[in-house]
Amino acid sequence: MTAPGITDTGRPRPSLPALALDVVAFEWTKLRSVRSNRLTILISAMVTLGLTTVIAESFASVPAGRHLPFSPLVASFLGFAEYTVLPVTVLSVLVFTSEYASGLIRTTFAAVPRRRAVLAAKAGVTGLAALIVGELLAFACFLLTQAILSGRNRGLSLAQPGVPGAVAAVGLALAACAVVGVAAGAVIRHTAGAIAAAISVVYLLAALCLLLGSPWDIRLGRFTMPFAAYQLASLHQQAGLLSPALSLLVLLGWPALALLAAGIAVTRRDA
Amino acid sequence: MHHSPMHPPAMAVLVIVAVVAAAFVVTCLMTLARGGQPRNLPKWAWAIIICVFIPWGGVAFLAFGRTGRHGMQPDALAPVPPALAPVPAAVAVPVAASQAAPTLVTRTPASPVAIELDRLTKRFGPVTAVDGLSVTISPGKVTGFLGPNGAGKTTTMRLILGLDIPTSGAALVGGRRYQEIVRPLHQVGSLLDATAVHGGRSAWFHLLALARSNGMGPGRVREVLELTGLEAVARRRAGEFSLGMKQRLGIAAALLADPAVLMLDEPVNGLDAEGVRWIRQLLTRLAAQGRTVLVSSHLMSEMAMVADHLVIIGRGRLLADIPTAEFVSGARRDVLVKSPRGDELAGLLMANGATVRPDGADGLAVTGLDAPGIGDLALAHGIAIHELVPRHASLEDAYLDLTSESTDYHAKLLPAGRVAVP
Repeated sequence: MTAPGITDTGRPRPSLPALALDVVAFEWTKLRSVRSNRLTILISAMVTLGLTTVIAESFASVPAGRHLPFSPLVASFLGFAEYTVLPVTVLSVLVFTSEYASGLIRTTFAAVPRRRAVLAAKAGVTGLAALIVGELLAFACFLLTQAILSGRNRGLSLAQPGVPGAVAAVGLALAACAVVGVAAGAVIRHTAGAIAAAISVVYLLAALCLLLGSPWDIRLGRFTMPFAAYQLASLHQQAGLLSPALSLLVLLGWPALALLAAGIAVTRRDA
Repeated sequence: MHHSPMHPPAMAVLVIVAVVAAAFVVTCLMTLARGGQPRNLPKWAWAIIICVFIPWGGVAFLAFGRTGRHGMQPDALAPVPPALAPVPAAVAVPVAASQAAPTLVTRTPASPVAIELDRLTKRFGPVTAVDGLSVTISPGKVTGFLGPNGAGKTTTMRLILGLDIPTSGAALVGGRRYQEIVRPLHQVGSLLDATAVHGGRSAWFHLLALARSNGMGPGRVREVLELTGLEAVARRRAGEFSLGMKQRLGIAAALLADPAVLMLDEPVNGLDAEGVRWIRQLLTRLAAQGRTVLVSSHLMSEMAMVADHLVIIGRGRLLADIPTAEFVSGARRDVLVKSPRGDELAGLLMANGATVRPDGADGLAVTGLDAPGIGDLALAHGIAIHELVPRHASLEDAYLDLTSESTDYHAKLLPAGRVAVP
């Protein structure tokens, strides 16, 4: 009943990139139009910078010659690791679970019946937003910490080899956590359960590994996201951890696996 | 009418707090940058950082990080179409919208599109929600989709929209499965659940996101906002809307892409009398333009006003697929007779082939003879008649007769008094 190239609504069939752009614009419009998202990001950025200042100060106060628990580089991101990663992961979980909770997901899937396209757009838009926020905050945390430490001759500069890459990797880790959150929301659908799952992947698995004691804590722990991010934020190879390249693979592997599970789950079930 | 939970003074306090906090952070950072010695920061600054910023960050995160239902001031940052002037907080949906509105629906669909259900079946575990349903919903008329609660109406609509996967059988729109339609909002506009909106998103952005999803822009959003009379409240968060306003928003979303098929699940829930009449006129007009309009309801009275055709289901099975007029004319009729010699008259009527059952204290409900026939018969035998009323059962009665065996949740009906409604 329809000629090729013409949809049955009598309009010219849009190209595939145009359709992909539709879904991205759909998800981006939804993401940016909820004020609580912006507020949460702003507040967590402020808290992160505040805590980073506190940590850098305590770090600077350690007398010269005493052993430091972290390198000055890693110390820049201790605040980031909690007060940015946690809220961003939770917001990412809500990208799906809030729609399931309100029933809006049916409107979404009625507008775009290709559910994997919806999943990809949600993960892509959320991941990209998290990447931008993550990079901005990671560099801000780094510069803030080093400004404080430089007074004690412990500061690093962005010009030193390996430093820009390490800082950038921290921003990337935030994007990875965001994608894990989106995928967990798609698989589990209920906010509380999905947050628990996402936090498990992002934090708790590593904490559990640490309970095992040596040498299994590192042997297993190196395959978790926090250890991989720790290696990537270090300038030198850490004892027992994977190489930076493999750590990057681990860091990106978790969101990839989570997306795969979500891609299977999202088309199998009734909306 | 709901009001914003946060009032202007609270907003001002919030802004002041934010400004003070930002000034504090900037001062701290400048002190640090200039001196290079963090301990140059006064002790109170540390106290504020540790006692205020960090715990309140956590609290604020818990408060705002969830769904945004307990939101704050109206969305000041949201860009608004130029046509929309700033609006005071409490604005009623303008009543006048109903008169001007439907003319805005301009385009007649390129070709009529029917919904075809072919032995459609959906089981949820042991429960069969839709059971071998085969019916065609034709364009150009309003089809009422009726059934008691739990009959499978909503499930059927979800199956049509590809939201649920049928156990067997198929639901086709314009000859193809919904999932295969490119930019499907141009083909099918639907409203399943008006409350399914993000409470923190304004009506404008809710519609804009949907428009974007199917290759449309803000122009069309403005049109449907005007059509549904929501322009004045477009910037307000949908969580503050009353149920009636949410219904209008849902209908705006359904009409967004000017679809050939319109499918509404219980659209008049929560609407006032004016809103109900508005919907009725809108649906009639849309059907007259050649669109397929499927409207579900569990109330017959509602459907009798608007539907040209009825599809009635019970326990997932098709009970009737019939023009409304035919359903009305086929409804049960009887005659109420009252006479001082009722017993004698009853025997006489039965002897003449009528069926008689008592109705009330002294009445007889007679079927099989019409009123003139009963009157003549009584006269011929010298029996006085005090009351002689031809009745036909209301649509509601006919509908209840049809569905009573298939109702899941029975309430006890009073035995007497099915009152006729002309």
